[in-house]
Amino acid sequence: MKERTDRLARFTSITALMLASVAMATWAALPQPQNPAPETPYHKTDPLKPPGPPVAPPLMTTRLPSRPTALVNIRILPASIELVSPRFTQRLVVEGTFVDGHLEDITSKARLYCSDSRIASVDKQAFVHPQSDGRATVTATYAGRQASAPVQVANFTAPFAWSFRNNVLPVMTKAGCNSGPCHGAAAGKNGFKLTLRGFDPETDYLTLTRQANARRTERLEPARSLILLKPTLTLPHKGGQRFPVGSLEYQVISGWIAAGMPPPKPADPLIVSLEVLPREASLLPGAQQQLLITAKFSDGHSEDVTRWAKYSSGDESVATVDDKGLVTMQGTGETPITVWYLSRVTFTRLRIPYPYPAEEAAFRRAPRNNYIDDLILAHLKTLRIRPSQPATDPEFLRRAYLDTAGILPRPRELEEFLKDSSPNKRAQWIDKLMTRPEFVDYWAYKWSDLLLVSSNKLSPEAMWAYYDWIRQSIARNKPWDQFVREIITASGNALENGAANYWVIHRVPIDIAENVSQAFLGINISCAHCHNHPLAKWTQKDYYGMANLFARVRLKMAEPAGFKPGVGPIFRNVTVYTGYTGQYTDDRFSRSLPPKPLEADALPLDSPRNRREYFAEWLTSPENPYFARALVNRVWRNFMGRGLVEPVDDLRNTNPPTNEELLNALVKDFVSHGFDVNHLIRTIVNSATYQTSSEPNRYNALDEKYYSHYLIRRLPAEVLLDALSQVTGIPEKFEGYAPGMRALQLPDTAVEDYFLTAFGRPPREQTRESERTSVPTITQALHVINGDTLNDKLRGPASVVDMLLKLGVADDQVVDYVFVAALSRHPTEHERQALVEDLKNAEASSSTESRRAALEDLVWAVLTSKGFMFNH
Amino acid sequence: MIKLDAERAVHFCDGVTRRDFLHAGAITMLGLTLPDFFALKEFGAVAPEKDINCIQLMLVGGPSQLDTWDMKPAAPDSIRGPYKPIRTNVPGMEISEIFPRMAKHADKFALLRSVYHTGAAVHDTGCQMMQTGRLFQGGLESPNYGCVLNKLKGPRGDVPPNVLIPIPIGQLGGNLPHGDTAGFLGKAYDPFVLNADPSDANFKVPDLLPPGYLASLRVDRRRNWRNAVDESVKYFESSQDARLMDSTFQQAYTLMTSAKARAAFDLAQEPEAVHKKYGMNRFGQGCLLARRLIERDVRFVTVNMFDTVFNEITWDIHGSAPFSPITCYGELIGPMFDNAYSSLLEDLHSSGLLKNTLVLATGEFGRTPKINPAGGRDHWPQCWTVVFAGGGIKGGQVVGSSDDIGSAPKDRPVAPGHVAATVFKALGLPIDLELKTPEGRVVRLVDNGFDPIDELLA
Repeated sequence: MKERTDRLARFTSITALMLASVAMATWAALPQPQNPAPETPYHKTDPLKPPGPPVAPPLMTTRLPSRPTALVNIRILPASIELVSPRFTQRLVVEGTFVDGHLEDITSKARLYCSDSRIASVDKQAFVHPQSDGRATVTATYAGRQASAPVQVANFTAPFAWSFRNNVLPVMTKAGCNSGPCHGAAAGKNGFKLTLRGFDPETDYLTLTRQANARRTERLEPARSLILLKPTLTLPHKGGQRFPVGSLEYQVISGWIAAGMPPPKPADPLIVSLEVLPREASLLPGAQQQLLITAKFSDGHSEDVTRWAKYSSGDESVATVDDKGLVTMQGTGETPITVWYLSRVTFTRLRIPYPYPAEEAAFRRAPRNNYIDDLILAHLKTLRIRPSQPATDPEFLRRAYLDTAGILPRPRELEEFLKDSSPNKRAQWIDKLMTRPEFVDYWAYKWSDLLLVSSNKLSPEAMWAYYDWIRQSIARNKPWDQFVREIITASGNALENGAANYWVIHRVPIDIAENVSQAFLGINISCAHCHNHPLAKWTQKDYYGMANLFARVRLKMAEPAGFKPGVGPIFRNVTVYTGYTGQYTDDRFSRSLPPKPLEADALPLDSPRNRREYFAEWLTSPENPYFARALVNRVWRNFMGRGLVEPVDDLRNTNPPTNEELLNALVKDFVSHGFDVNHLIRTIVNSATYQTSSEPNRYNALDEKYYSHYLIRRLPAEVLLDALSQVTGIPEKFEGYAPGMRALQLPDTAVEDYFLTAFGRPPREQTRESERTSVPTITQALHVINGDTLNDKLRGPASVVDMLLKLGVADDQVVDYVFVAALSRHPTEHERQALVEDLKNAEASSSTESRRAALEDLVWAVLTSKGFMFNH
Repeated sequence: MIKLDAERAVHFCDGVTRRDFLHAGAITMLGLTLPDFFALKEFGAVAPEKDINCIQLMLVGGPSQLDTWDMKPAAPDSIRGPYKPIRTNVPGMEISEIFPRMAKHADKFALLRSVYHTGAAVHDTGCQMMQTGRLFQGGLESPNYGCVLNKLKGPRGDVPPNVLIPIPIGQLGGNLPHGDTAGFLGKAYDPFVLNADPSDANFKVPDLLPPGYLASLRVDRRRNWRNAVDESVKYFESSQDARLMDSTFQQAYTLMTSAKARAAFDLAQEPEAVHKKYGMNRFGQGCLLARRLIERDVRFVTVNMFDTVFNEITWDIHGSAPFSPITCYGELIGPMFDNAYSSLLEDLHSSGLLKNTLVLATGEFGRTPKINPAGGRDHWPQCWTVVFAGGGIKGGQVVGSSDDIGSAPKDRPVAPGHVAATVFKALGLPIDLELKTPEGRVVRLVDNGFDPIDELLA
């Protein structure tokens, strides 16, 4: 309680005014620090001056100027060929590498031949066919260059049968038979129901061979099977023709039927990995590139599955891909092409670099403060996007204060910072900022969003207990793994152990399974409630196995504290404990599934182990591939405006990061520093990448993904309101809270406040970044123009306007002061002159009333300007 | 099939591709340039002449089909309920005695008596489905009809294209979204929320007008100075949110200064008798405001009849506290709806606007045929009635029917997807249009397999 009262005592309007007055005396002497010599015309020499005239985005040409670039070498993909069955083939791609680094698929132009046609042959489409067991070499020649790859053929005379699991189902998946809109729908289609994307081969086998009077598959006369008659449109089929009679698809299915329909067996080889070639590439606009997909299986064999894999492009304005894995490059930029086969997903990253000169020097010269910068610059270089100039000192300070602690630097602080001549002053000031109570306010608020702290489902006392626990954890920089472990294993009285309130908010095992995945792993498993996840690998078994981990959480509730519509009765005094028995059973499964973390072994149903402890062990382990990644991605987004994976609540493997190497490096650094969140924050804020100007240059104006410049964004609702309070000197009053409390100090988002609601404060009902919004609306605009929040602050007694009037500050100094206090910069000479002139005209009648009105209007104009409302 | 992101490039003579063009529509969609619809129109994807408005009346709580528009006078006491059917001005079409005025307009509306949904029997799911056509699953929140219209057609005149009266639906017990936002289309297409009670004696749109101490001279001065300060951050224009902020300020100033826009929201301009005709309550005045808005260029208006079902008299007649008793239909709720709805149809009809304004009245589900021990009826998503009128609707007919006790559709079963398809078709939008989520997922306006109910359409 003590700490809270202290918090409340801060920032009364009087102290705000005093601080402002102190600043008043000194602002005029703000020094103009020296900056390094300009490197480009876009450099700003005066750090307090706003950026110059806007740089018009360059006209994007869709085609690189056709300039001759020399071929460096050619190679065959894959580097070696292995054909372990008479029916397997391997597609080849001949790839040329050019001196400027781009690749070209030159397969159709190259000559391909095999050293021994008795072993293997290469056809016109560059497919290698086995002929007999043995070894040979395939060679490609083009433009006087040559490349070769060894071929090995085995088992050529061994009996062969198509596998239901590894051949038939992939054919049906590729043809779309078991997709969500078709027979993979939860209710099937027209009486025929397959499991979604073939996730349950045993069930599908029975469906195909036994159901519908076994008419779907005719063992004696395969061609009369419904699963061949329908997709070939021999019989009417609402889904249209999926493949023609005689196609390879047709042959696989009819071959499997003719062979007596061997069922899926536990001993079938299982897929262990999926590889795509090329792994990444820079290509030319309009270029076509064939992808090659190889699946490796548990018995050691690999197969060319290019024909059976599914493909999708992350950004079709950069590249499109057809269902045979042929990519066509469209426009500049970079996109992942995601490849899916059986249960595995992989991706390749293809790009068309921007049509700018490579200019190594620009990247060499760019400042590098730590590994983040190396990895960002390396990536930008492949795209030929040059980073913007470094942010000036005032830009940096304002930005870092807002992103790190949710506050504006006061004029006095800005002045001290500018005077500071220490070479690593930015790092020192970041350290100083992170020791401030506002830093704790900011991050307590952030994690309270994540953990849904509010009076929606908790009594006020319980909400405070939960909030204070979070707050104290942040003040002590509790390692993230420990923080989460304490939540997951929390028990006892929830007023004493605040973390236990997590279990008061989330009570139903499936809700808990969904929320722990979302909040701590960045994974949405809710799809698997009804069916296997369509975009990720999570199955219903994973889902209900997770749910059963939480079947033994018990609550003892006392002291009713009211009734909440949609929630039920609320209790003040709740004790969380773990029962010794209890299983979660869902109607879908007649039995309880053994409790199982998403990617760990299941506990036996009768195991006496504490299930939450078992789960916490897996969840917070350094080996967990999602746990640290989710947190790192959330913190990165806080500072950089965009997650490396976006949205941050969707870390599925079909949603790859824009810079995989960087995300991996950040995760490694975070884990090796003992899950130290402050270390992570410090690393990011100290990077030159974070400290880049928000003003785009002529090379990066179109980039919003690769961090070539700081992404501007509207201040979060609470930060904006606090900033308005700070500059006007009039704090906001929150019903039921002590005067002077800042919005970022509220433990609850259910506190009535029109401004905060209008500006997108999250209701904290679901763990989801998108609950908070910073999208401008008409309601917001009307509120700042006509509403009472800002207007009352301007008119209030002891406001900044009052102070400027009382101190009798001259107009030019008024303009200067307001700019420095609100925008952390001086006005330009032009701005100063124009506004002073306007003020003079407005005050022409010379009555105090009209001067007051003019000053109010000036402060209003600054506080509603985009330069104020945005962090930049 | 039409995609907002065109699949392949089509070349224009000037070297710009169709693809660029459609992308341009998609990227600068923030009310600043070409709304997608016009791009689509250029593309020949939609008929240019259809410009239909819509008023959606959300009858929150869930009206009992048996006591309103699908009466079963021949059913036993335990089913029939306390109300009697009355004749309407269309022979053979009968509705409940609680709607005597509505009965005189049966030629203008059509009853769809075989609507059902298969989601959980809570209010929230039905609200989602009746306002978007879909149950929200797998993190996908579908856009409200009005938000789709906004995205595709953009604003008309000085008013926001899509207005929600009076406030979004609040707590209904399920803690789920209600389908009143733009969902995956993004917040830029959310409706303009009135945030005020139009039946308040001194009703006004919050913050629509400057406070008394701010003379228009000062409002202008502020605006000019703000623009002057913003001169220094011209480069912000490369950010979508910054452009949107400019656009929202512009729209706010337009709303404030456009006489037509201000008049649209100025209920005081309606004569006393008209106010009374609609009913001096929040819903009645909300419908009156909806009419004024449609008359003044708003494309879509949602009127929520109630904002909760707890401790308020609503359609949610469980028969016991904190819900409502069945008698409230005759005493309060029936007349409230009857007056507002009938006045709305009368006025739109006499001004000729009914022809191009779809009026949709629906609850989120029906109610149990069998009366419960508390004398009420509980939730029943298996069968209920939706009332269509106006724009493109053939009135004076009943489509679909329920079984003898109103417990299930007997013929022409209609799922929310069919209702959505009908609404979009009436609004002149192609139902196979493909929208894209921010994650790149392609979502059709209406799921495959749900066709419009063509009998309803004129």
